[in-house]
Amino acid sequence: MLTSASQAAWPANWIARVRQRAFRTSPADRDPVILRHSRIYILPTRRGFMLVLTLGVMLIASLNYSLSLGLGVTFFVSGLVAAALLHTFRNLAGIKVRPLAAGDTFAGERLAFSVELMGGASARSEIKLQARGTHVLSDVRAGAALTLTLLAPTAKRGRIPLGRLTLSSDFPLGLWRGWAYVHFPLEGIAYPKPEASAPPLPQGPGGPDAFATGRGGDADLAGIREYQRGDPPQRVAWKAVARGAGWFTKAFDGTGGGGPVTLDYAALPRELSAEAKLSRLTAWVLAAERAARPFELRLPGAALALGQGREHRRLALSTLALFPADRT
Amino acid sequence: MNSRPAPFRFFNGTRAVTPRADILAPIQVRWLGALMVAAMLPQAAHLPLGIAALGLALVALRVFLISQRRARYFAALTELPSWALAVFAVVIAFGIRQWYGYLLGREPSVAFLFVLCGIKFLEARARRDGTLLVCLATFLLITPFLSNQSMFAALAAAPALMILGGALDALERSTDSLERQRDWRATLVRTLTLMAQGLPIALLLFVMFPRLTGPLWGLPTDRSARTGLSDTMTPGMFTELTLSDDVAFRVDFEGPTPRPSQRYWRGPVLSRFDGRVWSAANPQLGSVQIPNSGKNITYTVTLEPSGQPWLFALDLPAALPRVDSESGAATPPSIFLGLTRDQQLIARAPILQPLRYTQVSNLRSAYPATSVFEARANLRLPAGNRRSVEFARDLRANVADDAAFINAVLQFYRNEPFVYTLAAPLLEREPVDQFLFESRRGFCEHYASSFVVLLRAAGIPARVVTGYQGGEINPNGGYMIVRQSDAHAWAEALVDGVWRRYDPTAAVAPSRVERGLASALPAGESVPLFARFDGGWLKDLGLAWDAVNHGWRRHVIDFNYDRQRALWHEWSLDLFSPWQVVGGLTFVAGVWGGAVLLWLAIRRRRQERALVLWEDVCRRLSRAGLPRHPYEGPLAFVERAAARWPQFGIALKAIGEAYATLRYGNLAAESRERAALIATLKHAIGALPSPLRLRHAA
Repeated sequence: MLTSASQAAWPANWIARVRQRAFRTSPADRDPVILRHSRIYILPTRRGFMLVLTLGVMLIASLNYSLSLGLGVTFFVSGLVAAALLHTFRNLAGIKVRPLAAGDTFAGERLAFSVELMGGASARSEIKLQARGTHVLSDVRAGAALTLTLLAPTAKRGRIPLGRLTLSSDFPLGLWRGWAYVHFPLEGIAYPKPEASAPPLPQGPGGPDAFATGRGGDADLAGIREYQRGDPPQRVAWKAVARGAGWFTKAFDGTGGGGPVTLDYAALPRELSAEAKLSRLTAWVLAAERAARPFELRLPGAALALGQGREHRRLALSTLALFPADRT
Repeated sequence: MNSRPAPFRFFNGTRAVTPRADILAPIQVRWLGALMVAAMLPQAAHLPLGIAALGLALVALRVFLISQRRARYFAALTELPSWALAVFAVVIAFGIRQWYGYLLGREPSVAFLFVLCGIKFLEARARRDGTLLVCLATFLLITPFLSNQSMFAALAAAPALMILGGALDALERSTDSLERQRDWRATLVRTLTLMAQGLPIALLLFVMFPRLTGPLWGLPTDRSARTGLSDTMTPGMFTELTLSDDVAFRVDFEGPTPRPSQRYWRGPVLSRFDGRVWSAANPQLGSVQIPNSGKNITYTVTLEPSGQPWLFALDLPAALPRVDSESGAATPPSIFLGLTRDQQLIARAPILQPLRYTQVSNLRSAYPATSVFEARANLRLPAGNRRSVEFARDLRANVADDAAFINAVLQFYRNEPFVYTLAAPLLEREPVDQFLFESRRGFCEHYASSFVVLLRAAGIPARVVTGYQGGEINPNGGYMIVRQSDAHAWAEALVDGVWRRYDPTAAVAPSRVERGLASALPAGESVPLFARFDGGWLKDLGLAWDAVNHGWRRHVIDFNYDRQRALWHEWSLDLFSPWQVVGGLTFVAGVWGGAVLLWLAIRRRRQERALVLWEDVCRRLSRAGLPRHPYEGPLAFVERAAARWPQFGIALKAIGEAYATLRYGNLAAESRERAALIATLKHAIGALPSPLRLRHAA
C-alpha cells in the first residue's frame, strides 16, 4: 500500500520539483539569492530574432553567389550577436538579491516592496525588476547596494505576497533577453479601503462625542511637550525638528478630549455588506487616530483592547485586513 | 495647459497610438540615420544616379525633420498618410522596371530595396521600425559585393558595421538612460569591444562554415562587356587591347619561372579566315597530346572573369587543369570541359567569377597532329590577296622543302623594312597584300595573319594562335601578372606531321618577345603605364598594390568550396567524422565563451581593484568570526575589527582608510595616488594572518 502510494506520488513530486527549479513557483528562496547560471535563462528578443533571420537570408545569398565578403559580413555580425549573448549573461550573473521589506497600504493603492540588488565588483546595466504587474528599471553601480522599490497595485485587502520576482535585462544590444526568477516569501498587507465619506465616529462610553468630525481635536494649540514614541506624525513640531532644536510634539487642548470609542462590527447597520462594514471600521480607525482618541475594536471572533498610538492603529488595521471574509 | 509640443509623428491618426517609451527618440533616429547612410553609400556607387540620389535624399529628409520646429514647419510633409508612401513605393517600382526593363532580377531588386530603405526610414516612428531598419541596413551591406569584392568594397562596409553596434545599443536603451548618457564615443567603444570579442567566432565560421559546390539558384548573367580576347581576330583588335592595363590573370609558379621567350599563354586558336577576319572553328575535344615526359612546369593561374570560356595555359598543356593543388580533391566536373584538338583549354561556361586552377605545361613549341582533317581545314584560303598568294608560290618553288620555305618567309619579314607599331594604317581592301607589299607597318595581328596566309598559299597547313605573350613578375609577392596589354597573336604550322610554333612578330621586333611591348615599339607611341619598360615609382606602387590585391583575392575572395576542403585537408580535419568536427567546434565555441567571460572578469577586477581587495578582506574577517554588517561602512568595520584584534589594529585601520579613500575619495582614474593607495592596501592585507590564526588570536 505504502509503495503504491509513493509510486503514485512520484511523478507528481518530480514534476513539482522540476517546476520549482525551472519556474520558482513557490516562495522557497532564502535571503540572499545570488544569480548563477542555473537560474539564468537567455532567449533572443524579437529584435534579436529578426536580426538572426536576416543573417540567415544573408548567409544563403552569400553562399549562392559565392560572395566571400558577404559571408565575412554575415559572420562578423554573427560574432557580434554571440558576444552580446555572453554580455547579457554576464550582466545578470552574480547579482545578489535580498528582500528588504514589504510595506502596507490600503486596498486600491500601491503597495511598496523593496528589494536590494548588489552587483559585486561589476557594474550592472539596465536591470529590470518585475513583479505583480509592475516593474522598475535601473543600473547597479559596482560595489553598491541598490534598493529598488516596486509599487505594486492592490485590489483587495489582505496579505499581498510579492510573488515571483523576475530580474531581466537585454543589455547590451537588445538582441538577447536574459532573465532569472527569484521567489521570496515576502508579504505586504493591504488594509481595507477606508469608506470615502464615512459617518462620524460612534459615541464612546465616555459621553457625547464632541469631536465627531475628527478635526475638532486640533482646535487650540496649548503648547509643546517632549516627543514620545507613538505620537502621531501630524502633531510633531516639524519646524523645530528642522531647526535641529530636538523632537517635540504639539499639544492641543482637544487632545484626547473625545474620550475612548468602541468600534463594533456587530453594531453596524445590517444592510451593509461585510466588506463595506470593514471599510467603515477602517475609516473610523483612521478618524479616531486623527482625533487622538483611544479606541477598542470588536469583530466577530477577534477583539482589540482599548488603546492608542501608531502600533495600536497598525494592529487594528491589520486585524481588519486579515478578518476572514466568511466569518460574519 | 501643457505647452510641450507633441512628439514628432508621421501619419497622425492613421495608426494606433504608440506608447511614449516605444517612440524613437531623436538620438535613436540620428543613430539609425547614420546607419542608413553608411549602409546605403557603398551600394549607391553601383546604382543609377537617380535612384542613388533618391534613396539618400529620403534619409536626409528624415534626419532634417528630427527637429520638431522644422517638423511643425513642414507639417504637410510629416503627416503624409501611409497609403501615400505605399503609392510612392509602387511608383518607384514602376520607374525601376522602366529603367532596367525588368523588375524581378538581381540589379532592379537591389535598387528597389535601396529606395525602400529610404522610404521605411522616412516613416520610421516606433522602435520596432528601428528593428526593421537595422535588418534592412544589414542586408544592404552585402549587396555591393555582388558587383565588387575588392578590398575597398570591404573597407566601405566597415563604417556601417561599427554604426550597426551603436544603433542597436541606442535602440536598446530606455529613454531615461539615453538622456543620461549622450556620449556616442563611449557607445562606439563599447560596441567595438563587443565586435572584437566576436571576431574569433566570425573567423571560425568563415573557415569552417561549409561552402556550396554550386549555386542553389541561377547565377547572374552578366551583360556588361569586358576587355579581353575573343574568338575572332579583326584588324586593330590587339592594338586596342594593348591600351588596357587590366589584369588578364595572375600566375604563381611552383619552381623557377620560365624565360620570357617561353611565356606563350595559349588562348583561342583561329583557323577560319574570310579575307579580313580570323575566327575560331567549332571546338573538337581531343586528349592530352604531350607525353608526360621531359620538363614539366606546374603553376596556378588566377583568372579574372573574362566572360569567355577559355582558360589560358603555357604552351603546351600537359594535363587538364585542377581546381586546387593542395587538396588533391577531384575537380568538380562542372567547370572544365576539356582540351580541344588544337590544345586549347575550354570551360563549360563563360568565366564570370574569378577562377583559380592549377595547370601543368610542357614548355615545347611543337606537338604531333592528330588527324588529316585538321591539315585540310587549315589550308583554306578565301579568294583575294592574289599578290601574296603568288609571292608565296614563287618562293616555295625556289626552296627545297617546307621548313626552308618558312625560314625564307621569316627572312623576308626580317630583311624588308617592316615596322612593328601600334599605329598601323587601316587596310580596307586586300589587307594582306596591302600590308605585305605597301604599308609594311603593323602589329602582331598583321604579322600573324599575313604569315599564315603565305604558308597556306604555299600549301602548308597553318593557323593563328591568340593569347598572351610575356607577363611581369611582381617583386612584391613573386607572382606573375599578365595584363591585357600582353595580348599577342602568333602562328602554328604543320610541318612533317608536327604543329610547330612560329612568331613572325619576333622576326621583326625580337625584343617584343624578350622584353615586352614597350621595348619593341618605336619611341613616342603611347603605351599603358604597366606595359612600359620603365614606369618609375608609380609603377612600383602599382605593383605593390597589385600584390596586396592578389593576396586578398587568393585568401579571402576565392575561399570557396575547394580552397576550404584543401585547408581542412591540410589541418587533417577530413580524417574526422562530421559529428566529431561539430563536437570539436562546439568545444572551441565553449572555450571562446569562457575566454570572453574571463576577459570581462579580469578587466572588471582591474578596474575595481580596491573593491575586489576589500571584498577579500571582508571574506577573511568573516571567516575569522567577524562578519561585516550590511549597514557598516569600511571605517566602522575596521574600527570594530581593530577592537577585536588590537595587535593588528594598525594594519586594519590602514586597510579601511585606504579603501575608503580609493572608493569614495576624489581620485583621478589612473593617477599615481591611486596606485600608491592600492599598494598600501595590498601591503596592509599582507600583514594580516590567515583567517584561522586570526580566529585563535582573539
